[in-house]
Amino acid sequence: MHPAKPELKELVVEASRALARLDATRLEELALSCQALTRARDPEDPDERMQRMRQAREAEADMAVFARVLEATRANLNVMNRLRALRVVQLEYTERQARAGLGAEGGHGDH
Amino acid sequence: MGTINSALSLTKGALDADQAALSVVANNVANANTTGYTEETPDWQENQAINVGGIQVGDGVTETGATSQRDRVLEERLDQQQQLASASSARLTALNSMQALFTPDSGSSSSTAGDIGSDITSFFDSFSSLESDPTDNALREQVLSSASTLAGDISSAANSLNAQSAALDQEASGVVSQVNSLTGAIGQLNLEIQSISPGADAGTLEDQRQQDLSQLSQLIGINQVSTENNGLSITTTSGQLLVSEGQSFQLSTGTVNGATDFFLGGTDITSQLATGGGQLGGYLTAREVDIPSALGSLDQLANSISTSVNAQNNSGTDLDGVTGTVANPLNIFKVPATVAGSAASMSVSMTDPNQIAAAGAGSGTGDNSNAVAIASLAGQTIVNGQTPINYYSNFVSTLGATVSEVQTENTAQNASVTQLQTQNNALSSVNLNDEAAAMSKLESSYQAASQVFTLLNTIMASALNLGEETAVS
Repeated sequence: MHPAKPELKELVVEASRALARLDATRLEELALSCQALTRARDPEDPDERMQRMRQAREAEADMAVFARVLEATRANLNVMNRLRALRVVQLEYTERQARAGLGAEGGHGDH
Repeated sequence: MGTINSALSLTKGALDADQAALSVVANNVANANTTGYTEETPDWQENQAINVGGIQVGDGVTETGATSQRDRVLEERLDQQQQLASASSARLTALNSMQALFTPDSGSSSSTAGDIGSDITSFFDSFSSLESDPTDNALREQVLSSASTLAGDISSAANSLNAQSAALDQEASGVVSQVNSLTGAIGQLNLEIQSISPGADAGTLEDQRQQDLSQLSQLIGINQVSTENNGLSITTTSGQLLVSEGQSFQLSTGTVNGATDFFLGGTDITSQLATGGGQLGGYLTAREVDIPSALGSLDQLANSISTSVNAQNNSGTDLDGVTGTVANPLNIFKVPATVAGSAASMSVSMTDPNQIAAAGAGSGTGDNSNAVAIASLAGQTIVNGQTPINYYSNFVSTLGATVSEVQTENTAQNASVTQLQTQNNALSSVNLNDEAAAMSKLESSYQAASQVFTLLNTIMASALNLGEETAVS
């Protein structure tokens, strides 16, 4: 007995949820499910084609949500990347200052 | 001896420093479950080296305080997303209530305000029925009855929208006292932070200020500007000053054209607040944009149906052989004074069914040509270039599309807030390795989601194009 195939809408909704909670593992599983879904289809079967079309229409609104969550994630990722770059510069600056300070004193730190 | 004393002093200093650092750690543990608490790390300062026989020897470190593991850039981004999410949540709640007015309840054909679409059809159909026997009193009564149902449902929907607007007005006014209380507290905290810790992190005071900022962001759209000595200025998103270091500027309310407007320093900033974000922005967008737009559409529908039907009825002959004149009009609906307000005041003014002018002008009372003409208004473009039923359907569809759009925005904004909270927690509550792990999680999730999106997009495009198969690797 084959396991029940998930509706496209369920996959899309689950993808948005997984992305919101940054569940990369679940997203990778969903990618595999999508690939399996593509391989399993029979383009010659008119019933299946009709069913796929219905599923795609039902999933359209949720796909728009997923697109917006993805867009928001990209914006967050950009902010975090900029933040990390700022921190690296800050760290380098602090280290340079510390080295310069020690060099001027000529002492041996013994922390 | 000097050397032994120095060594002992160094050891004692190290123990003191360790003890102080342990206190910071203990404080972190004690506050692990305190909302808004940011983990602190001890700050170490190198002691002045001592000179022993001409050689500089290090003298250890002293614990000089603690720095919170906060990041203002991330916290600002979080606040910014929070205010967008709060605005769309408040607006969505209002839009859902509006939509419920025009959506038939499950298992029923009528909504809270009835089913205006069916009412329009029934009203014009009643004239079609009258065509078959223009002198039949029951059919004439049916025309007035369906006119009354249509007018009652349109009027009821308009009145419900006005009531929703008044409720939003109250909600929005309630936000002001909370905003004023928070801006006052932030001003006070600014003063404390600047006097206690002008050059370093002020620990719990800054936590408190950040919590107040988060709450403020949920209420109103704000911009934050860091100032000297750990100070902070806050403006609305359109630039009006709310807090300048220790000073806060209070919002006030006043009634303008029957609605509550919002003032800062004597200037009416209601429209700026509506687009600014936070709950207040959401309430005001619904009150200033969504409800007036829906009311405007209903007014147009009511006005066009009333004036077109009245005009056609006045051009025919009633059952008593009378034709309507300016002095003695045969109006079915009360004549609207202006387009604005037409929906709320829509009602049936005709009480005598004999006054329905089913016959054409100059024809006998058994004629039905004017009843045919009135029935045909259903298919004519009498409401802003559209038929009445198409106009109403488009209005309901547009409202539905707006609800769906705001729902999408709200879901995405909430997801973004959840992600940023995860990142912020990683930064404030755990060590640097975990912070790097959180960043990597964000990156890998984005990459995996992009792959899922591409696959789903291809599957959907292929399914919708029916037969045009697209290869997916």
